[in-house]
Amino acid sequence: MRALIILVVLATGCGRNAVRAAEKEFLADQVMVFDNDPHDSAAEDHVLTNREGAAGGHGAGGGGCGCN
Amino acid sequence: MQLRILLLLAATARIAHAEDRAEVSTELFAEARDGDKGGLTVVHPQANVGFDIGRHVTLDLGYAADAVTGATATIYQVDATTGATTFSDFRHEGQLALGFQGRRSRITFNTSLGTERDYLSRQVGGEASIDLAGKNTTIALAYTHSWDAVCDRDNTQQMLLERTALTGADPCDKQGLILAKDRPGETVWRDLSIDTAQTTLTQNISPTMNMQLALYGQVLEGFQSNPYRRVKIGSASPQEHIPDERARWSLAARVNRYLPALHAAAHFNARFYDDTWRVIGGDLELGYSQYVGNSLLVHFRARIYQQTPAKFFKDAFFYENFSTAGEYFTGDRELSPVRSAMLGGKLTVISVAEDKPVLGIFDKLQLNVKGDLLFLMPVAADNTGDNTMGIDKQFLNGNGLIDAVILQLSVLGNY
Repeated sequence: MRALIILVVLATGCGRNAVRAAEKEFLADQVMVFDNDPHDSAAEDHVLTNREGAAGGHGAGGGGCGCN
Repeated sequence: MQLRILLLLAATARIAHAEDRAEVSTELFAEARDGDKGGLTVVHPQANVGFDIGRHVTLDLGYAADAVTGATATIYQVDATTGATTFSDFRHEGQLALGFQGRRSRITFNTSLGTERDYLSRQVGGEASIDLAGKNTTIALAYTHSWDAVCDRDNTQQMLLERTALTGADPCDKQGLILAKDRPGETVWRDLSIDTAQTTLTQNISPTMNMQLALYGQVLEGFQSNPYRRVKIGSASPQEHIPDERARWSLAARVNRYLPALHAAAHFNARFYDDTWRVIGGDLELGYSQYVGNSLLVHFRARIYQQTPAKFFKDAFFYENFSTAGEYFTGDRELSPVRSAMLGGKLTVISVAEDKPVLGIFDKLQLNVKGDLLFLMPVAADNTGDNTMGIDKQFLNGNGLIDAVILQLSVLGNY
């Protein structure tokens, strides 16, 4: 848990100025967005959880331009 | 009018978007099965629609179904094809989500209901995310609770090795489609409670690279056996019996790297998984997305996966000729040691409105065609030197190189 907190603090500290708004053209592209199609991801999880014991934890949507 | 038709088609709720959107898709999953009963086929149509209610509220609706037909092994034994039979089932699922969006944050409440002949699922959950200062870091938290119920034979008076399995002919009564109703002496509904939590950290690293860490945990309490499956133990074939409690967690890391010179992106995913049944697994996935002109996107990927068996899983020969693992015995392939691989591709045709909307409605319209090939390598759970019958026929896996195929066709429109 402590490691996770440190990781979050480091990431947020370093990330504040990592990329300026004007530099987010590529990050906003759909190929850079995690789970750009959540229904497709859900359908794939549905298949994998019926074949594998290690279900879940494939991440979530977000990323890209950082515009929530 | 066309917009109304799309809304009527509608479907789900996941993360809502800044503009209205609708998606319809159909997926076909076909898995090879040994024996003379054919393969396993699942057709999975789904439809989703999301729209804004004012500036800060979004509503998403969804519907999905599974039509399953094919061969299944009723008894886990050295030669599973002996007791193989065919079955069919149909599952319906409806979803609803209400989202509230601020300048840098978002919170979504969602619920879903799933029903099929022998299984009921009622789920509620919520997800919150926030962009930190600079909008280069997003932290998200999600939680769901699911009240599930599984139809089972009424085995309350039987000892473990005397329990009989459910059959397709047994009645599984319901009240009002989503409430379970027991039929004492014949069938009862067994509860399964599932709590799931996930936190993700998404970080922009550079103008061409971002990454995501996801920590996932789930606790399951209740009936988790397949009520239809039996396990051959000596001369008996009782219903399988596995623990009622399971806690699992995983940690995943994902990285995207844009390649401006190629108008492409490379993707890397890795995941580690562990649980209290001692299943330890992990997967690695590499992907590559390439634009061809402005309206065609091609995506390729390769994935490998491996897991260890659950602590109470045995190859069928050992259950059949020796004993159970304490009080537990199972023939679940998901709890056996597994090595698998997947190769896939996806073709996306993108139409963006310029002077006027695409088809008179959409700001953006995408047609996706996707295909995956799945490979499976059976692995022995126990000492192969002592197993004189081998493991080749204990599951209904096909003997060919390709174990399963997934095909998907979807249309996604933003309007």
